[in-house]
Amino acid sequence: MRTLTVARAVGWRMLHNNFTTPSLLIPGLAFPLFFFIAFAGGLSRVNDVPGFDFPAGYTAFQFVFVLLQSAAFAGVFTGFGIVRDFETGFARRLMLAAPNRVGILLGYALGAIGRWALTAFILTVVALLAGMEVGGSGVDIFALYALAVLVNFVGLLWSAGVAMRLRTLQAAPLMQLPIFLALFFAPVFVPVELLADWLETIARLNPVTLLLEAGRSLIAGAPERVGIAFTAVFALIAGFFLWAVRGLRKAEAAGG
Amino acid sequence: MKGAIEVRGLVREFKGGIKAVSGIDLDVPAGQIYGFLGPNGAGKSTTVHMLTTLLPPTAGSARVGGFDIVKEGPAVRRTIGAALQEAALDPLLTGREHLKLQLALHGVRRTERGGRTDELLERVGLRLAADRKIGGYSGGMKRRLDLALALAHRPRILFLDEPTTGLDPQSRSALWDEVVRLKRDEGVTVFLTTQYLEEADVLADRVGIIDHGRIVAEGTPASLKAEIGRPTVEAMPGEGTTQRELEGILARFGELQPSTSGIAVRLDGQGGLTEVVRALDAAQANVAALHLHSPTLDDVFLAKTGRSLEGSEEPAEPEA
Repeated sequence: MRTLTVARAVGWRMLHNNFTTPSLLIPGLAFPLFFFIAFAGGLSRVNDVPGFDFPAGYTAFQFVFVLLQSAAFAGVFTGFGIVRDFETGFARRLMLAAPNRVGILLGYALGAIGRWALTAFILTVVALLAGMEVGGSGVDIFALYALAVLVNFVGLLWSAGVAMRLRTLQAAPLMQLPIFLALFFAPVFVPVELLADWLETIARLNPVTLLLEAGRSLIAGAPERVGIAFTAVFALIAGFFLWAVRGLRKAEAAGG
Repeated sequence: MKGAIEVRGLVREFKGGIKAVSGIDLDVPAGQIYGFLGPNGAGKSTTVHMLTTLLPPTAGSARVGGFDIVKEGPAVRRTIGAALQEAALDPLLTGREHLKLQLALHGVRRTERGGRTDELLERVGLRLAADRKIGGYSGGMKRRLDLALALAHRPRILFLDEPTTGLDPQSRSALWDEVVRLKRDEGVTVFLTTQYLEEADVLADRVGIIDHGRIVAEGTPASLKAEIGRPTVEAMPGEGTTQRELEGILARFGELQPSTSGIAVRLDGQGGLTEVVRALDAAQANVAALHLHSPTLDDVFLAKTGRSLEGSEEPAEPEA
């Protein structure tokens, strides 16, 4: 019970700071919207490329990518907040008060989900206003957003592990780079079948491809490999949860 | 519970083999104010970090509130409050929000948080500034808020790590009053680190002096001062009397001490100030000034380490 109490309190602070500080709030909203408008709008002629046969159209195709990308980066950017807490000493206050310190980690996760939820809502509204076709049922769409929440959790756990090990903002590039690489070596702009050579090979090995394709199949209403995608994301969560908890233990051993 | 804080052979070694704390033993009975005195870098903060479960010890053991600091960390944290050296506050939160967050972290019920927050804000004199973001608080206000946060969940044991460093005299005095009140009215055990001799002398029931990670002296301020000796008399020669003549008279009462402005002697028990005055009068020595210095905790530090505490700075305590 105390773990959840701590998690709620830490999560509340993250959300409070995010929603009352424009410099924290606006980039988190603006970047995904910019990516969506730039990719879905600027590349809409991809719809006409031979071999592009996504039934819900290019807007929905891009929407799923930007939705999952925004989820992952909301998690990663929360890692920046964790580092700031260590640099300012606020993490010590949290560690002194929390009976179970895993509750702090869960609190950061709640904060990450909360800050992404607003982004996801606005992104969805903008996409629908832009004429996005949704072929999936309510269950399909619920599964798509559930998948995104889990991706958010993966991003948070990865960046928290880095943040708690290095405890300096200089770790920021390290938090972002693997996520950037994983996302952009996936079939972002066209289906994997339209990629060529080494890029196709990497994309087919990249687990993000599996998540993207499952997400796109859900919005199109033709679920495909969704079970495998959820299994993969749960495996990532299990792995990165251990990574983050070990990071927490390292931070504890270093004195916060 | 035998003591509020029991420490045996506590060691903390950092990377590179640097020992910040080199095997200390401590016993702090419940309800006492314990002053932990030492220069910067002596190991005070490292000790506090270990006792508050922020930093695991390399060796040795300690119990705080009856709980082992390594094996029963959560129970220790429920028992203690701590205001560390840097008041770590979130500049985006108000004072009131900090308190509510702290109470939530400690699991205080939502219905009780409002009342407890108001009570603490009133107690530390921050009621009028409660709804301002702490980015606009002065250093003294931040310290007071930090103290209120440490007291939020009514801890039995309070750790204050150099709580008055950088405070103006008025804020320092107010904080001293609050520490004394906590002990007197609520029976809180206070473990207070300081580099100010006066602070330890005024507040502490017992004092531990730490230097290079080792406790070099421990006891009540009075017993420590008594242990290192007797008062010193310092005399400055007046017109017609030489330093040599004064030396000859004062040397009869004890060991001569270095003095920059006259002749000083540490009384050895053969006589007090009265006897010294009578001897000077009998010798018809003309004295411009005569001072009696009682031993201070700085004298204790000097006697135990060979150097003065005031201005005695060591390199900052290392990070892990």
